[in-house]
Amino acid sequence: MSELENNAEVRITELTKNFGDIMAVDHMNLHVPAGSIFGLLGPNGAGKSTTVRLLCTLLKPVEGTAQVAGHDILESPVDVREVTGILPEEGNHTLYPGMTAYQNLEYFARLYGVDEDIIPERIHELLTFMNLNDRADDKAGELSTGNRQRLALSRAILHKPKVLLLDEPTSALDPVAAKRVRELILNLSQQYKQTVFINSHNLAEVQRICDRIAIIDDGKIILYGTTRELLSQLQVQQEFRIRVSDGMSEAQSLVESQEYVLSVKPEVDSLLVAIRDPIENNSKLMRALLDASVNIIEFEEEVSLEDLYLDAIMRGDKK
Amino acid sequence: MSKNKSIVVAMADLRAAMSLRFVKYGLLGMGALGPVAAVLTVVATVALIPPGPDYDMLVQYIAPTIASMLMIFGIIPASMISANALVGEREQKTMEPLLATPLTDRELLIGKLLSSMIPSSILLFGGTLVSVLAENVIFVLMGLPLLLIPDVGGMLMIFIAGPAIIIAVVSFMILISGRVTRVYEAYQMTSIVVIIAIIPMIVPAFFIGGSLIESVTWLTYITTILISVAFMAITFSLAITRFNRDRLISMV
Repeated sequence: MSELENNAEVRITELTKNFGDIMAVDHMNLHVPAGSIFGLLGPNGAGKSTTVRLLCTLLKPVEGTAQVAGHDILESPVDVREVTGILPEEGNHTLYPGMTAYQNLEYFARLYGVDEDIIPERIHELLTFMNLNDRADDKAGELSTGNRQRLALSRAILHKPKVLLLDEPTSALDPVAAKRVRELILNLSQQYKQTVFINSHNLAEVQRICDRIAIIDDGKIILYGTTRELLSQLQVQQEFRIRVSDGMSEAQSLVESQEYVLSVKPEVDSLLVAIRDPIENNSKLMRALLDASVNIIEFEEEVSLEDLYLDAIMRGDKK
Repeated sequence: MSKNKSIVVAMADLRAAMSLRFVKYGLLGMGALGPVAAVLTVVATVALIPPGPDYDMLVQYIAPTIASMLMIFGIIPASMISANALVGEREQKTMEPLLATPLTDRELLIGKLLSSMIPSSILLFGGTLVSVLAENVIFVLMGLPLLLIPDVGGMLMIFIAGPAIIIAVVSFMILISGRVTRVYEAYQMTSIVVIIAIIPMIVPAFFIGGSLIESVTWLTYITTILISVAFMAITFSLAITRFNRDRLISMV
């Protein structure tokens, strides 16, 4: 057994799940080292969410198994659920809208068996950590998307799980809120030494925060390795498509004036912009456009991960 | 010290249900409508019909009708709350994080059952008690003799068949929760179970004026109790054995 396998907090062996004729997860084998931040990348429908649902025992595999923090998902599902925390896909929609932020956390603290005496203190600690203290008495349904996402993340870590499963943690968030959530995930990993398993279709995101990445397509892992190894293999080049409702030429001038912008290609109704260190600078660019009152209707990463998978498959990079 | 998780689930479900206007006002409406309708029917019958054979016949007939009516108004809230607590959770997308907690299937199902049982039982028993008390207070004020409607058989039915049907409604909801997608659809489907409570309202009507009405009424009460208990036993056992997290989540 390799060092990686010995040190694995999540150990997936031949894990398989189908929904009728659709093979969602196909004989997956994967090891996630303890204390690492792991990113499972793939397009919609690749099997990422099914993998997370299998790992937290919401779904049962038809074949294979997995161990999470030493507990088998088939033999001891309750133990697995005790040591995992989950932020489901569209996590900001999974809160009880009629309950306050505090009540949402209190409810789940009780379900996770957190001692009654320490629940208020734990909730206060988390709300402070997430910068939500002044929102404690607001109903979850009245919070902004970003705040709801942070609240859902707080709910996932209430019981100090050993493994944190995050399904598309920044989808549906604006770049500023997404950046904040990414920082929180990094802080969580550093402060609580948790193993974090992130599902994402956002390459820039996993590139920024993950130690290891696997790429999944059609339920199969097609690439796996450290972030550095994979990025060098994939030769990533990132561009952003910016579409504005009016004032395209002013927007173009503004974009070109930013020191970190490498190139600007005007197209029929949008600008294709290449920027240096995109993770660091894309939010800066958006802020500059917003400050200049440019009405942005689209700000999208142009590099399609699917292209990268295809490229990887074509080059026979399967591992 | 941790709280009992089933109680925690039940209390949260109740809080969530009461935050919905249609459930809150539905419960208040059902809670009020049952006793009001029962009292008005009984008082109007007793006050308008002069003592005699017609009076005795009508009193014998309205006793099971009122028992049925009170039972129905007590049972419908169970359907509303359980639809929200099971299908509603899935519709609102709160089911996934809930199922990812260390709750066992048993704790979860008991919690869901309690969240419907508690308010429905309060409405069922409270409504019956309030009706009997209100009727007799009005009789006293009108100088009429005291009367027990629902009668002893009706009371027995309310106290045995009522909770049994409530459990059957919730169990039926658990069974269909993996198959229906909308709260309203689930709510409509469980209404089928309420039909059991209508039996005592219909069967004695065919024997009004006949010499067999008392025996038929008792037989109807007993049959309703037996059907309710049997239905509860079947649906509850099926709900426990067939509860399937996989199916619930696959539909999310």
